Amino acid sequence: MLSKLQIHLAKVFLKIFLRDRQSIFFSLFFPVIFMTVFGFINNADQEAINIGVVNNSSSIVATDFAQLLIDNPVFAVTIGQEERLRDELIAGDQTMVLVLPASFDTESESENLRLLVDAAQVNQLSLIVPLLQQTLISIEREFRNIEPMFNLELEDVQARSQRYIDFLLPGLMAFTLMQLAIAGSGFNIVEYRRKGILKRLFVTPIQPKDFITAIVLARMAIVLIQLTVLIAFATFVLDVRILGNFASFYFVIMLGTFIFLCLGFCLGSIAKTQQAVGAIGNIVIFPQIFLSGVFYPIESMPELVQPIARVLPLSFVSTAMRDIANNGAAMLEIMPSLIGIAVWFVISFVLATRLFVWKDVAN
Amino acid sequence: MPIIEIKDLAKKYPLPDNKSETFFAVNGISLSIEAGEIYGILGPNGAGKTTTLEMLEGLNDIDGGSATIDGIDVAKEPFKVKQIIGVQLQANEYFDNLSLLELLTLFGALYDRIIDPNDLLAKVHLQEKAQAKPANLSGGQKQRFSIACALVNEPKVLFLDEPTTGLDPQAKRNLWDLVLELNGAGMTIVLTTHNMEEAETLCQRIAIMDHGEVVAEDTPQQLILKHAAEPPEAPLHGNIEDVFLALTGHGLRE
Repeated sequence: MLSKLQIHLAKVFLKIFLRDRQSIFFSLFFPVIFMTVFGFINNADQEAINIGVVNNSSSIVATDFAQLLIDNPVFAVTIGQEERLRDELIAGDQTMVLVLPASFDTESESENLRLLVDAAQVNQLSLIVPLLQQTLISIEREFRNIEPMFNLELEDVQARSQRYIDFLLPGLMAFTLMQLAIAGSGFNIVEYRRKGILKRLFVTPIQPKDFITAIVLARMAIVLIQLTVLIAFATFVLDVRILGNFASFYFVIMLGTFIFLCLGFCLGSIAKTQQAVGAIGNIVIFPQIFLSGVFYPIESMPELVQPIARVLPLSFVSTAMRDIANNGAAMLEIMPSLIGIAVWFVISFVLATRLFVWKDVAN
Repeated sequence: MPIIEIKDLAKKYPLPDNKSETFFAVNGISLSIEAGEIYGILGPNGAGKTTTLEMLEGLNDIDGGSATIDGIDVAKEPFKVKQIIGVQLQANEYFDNLSLLELLTLFGALYDRIIDPNDLLAKVHLQEKAQAKPANLSGGQKQRFSIACALVNEPKVLFLDEPTTGLDPQAKRNLWDLVLELNGAGMTIVLTTHNMEEAETLCQRIAIMDHGEVVAEDTPQQLILKHAAEPPEAPLHGNIEDVFLALTGHGLRE
């Protein structure tokens, strides 16, 4: 059980953190900014596609066609000279430029419309070209008075489509807990050693397990509070919903925090200076930001990297949190992630107890 | 009755420029410190003073010989020793964002004691600073606060490592008064210093260390009689600084 000293010391660590306004601000600032930016970008309506139209034909058909494009809300049409529009395309003001040939009318059999594009926008093209074709077909039907065989009717079943912010939130929370945990154990220990505080503690009868337990308790509380603030922000401001069970969500958070606290203790034991802990810390933290599926899914990474990415501790934690938050997964369904978390739990704990030698760390 | 007994105490370190070779930072020293005295350990930088204290405090492993404090073996029962000693280290920084009162309460908790932090602050004349943070204290106040922290467990032995280094004369004398006050109440105090006047004023006995060995040990008066240059007809001539230089030479250290 927890001793009086452990609780007292944990309260002290908590108090130190709560009085450190700057740390609190910055540990919340980054995730909040991120969530806000991505939350609002995704909420915005689909922007109209900028399209330039060069009408080289004087036929009524061409004018009607241009009018139909203007009426279509999908497009924001600019009519003008080819040269000017071409410049605008290069400058990025137009997504594409459609050139209607001089012979554009119903009499001619089949006409080639020239579409000028910027190759850098290729991924958008795959969306836009069919759209454009569709518009052309419907215009053609109108002119030739053909009734379309099919009509698509859209029916909104109000299913919750996943936005990027929904995907991002659990990953960002996993990332935040990693940062807070590693800073709490690793960086703090090096700082305490530099100031001689550990040495001073060492000459009192405090046992290393009391010291470690207190840090773990305090950091656990800090992480839970910070993440709860983030969840509240995401829920009330950005309308993100956690579909799964809150208890399992927090359970995974606590396991993850423990893993990264242990890894932090390892860091703090190996690195003797503030610079060293920064450098080694980056080796641990940096790859995980990009490889652990925090900002985009692991599946979208190169095949070669995926096996490595999948076994990183942050990957297991963020995957488990995402499955619970986005898919409402139950504990049983995230077994693979939980097993990975358990393995890292043991590895990091054993490593930490081996490396964190009270006397060596204090001196 | 001796409260600290040190026999053939030794500490080796690897040489800084050749890691495979070792040298003795403390080379088999034997000391006996009486209960209730102020005992000074003098020596140039690198003489082994701090290493000796750190071995007694449990901060450094003992590589040879033995040491007991109040009959407790330092190497075998470090946690029992920690209960009865108070330590002021050279570095005196503390956790940020905690007031003196909170820090003292914390130190009390480390010894599983409920203490009256105000009482301790009064002892070191820092009552008005109760709500201050250590970062906002002057050098002398910081040292006095360090001593207050070292007193939370009412130690039998108080270790002070260069307590007046960097203090102005007023703060220095103020700290001496405090040390004498504590000693007057019966506390054994072991201190290291570079300051000869300090050794002469405070210490009932002095050991002078050089190159990891004790080169002389006695009362200040006897040391002056024995070692001060040009023994005079008059009973006391010269001071401890003369003794110090006579024993350790004039060569510059580190």
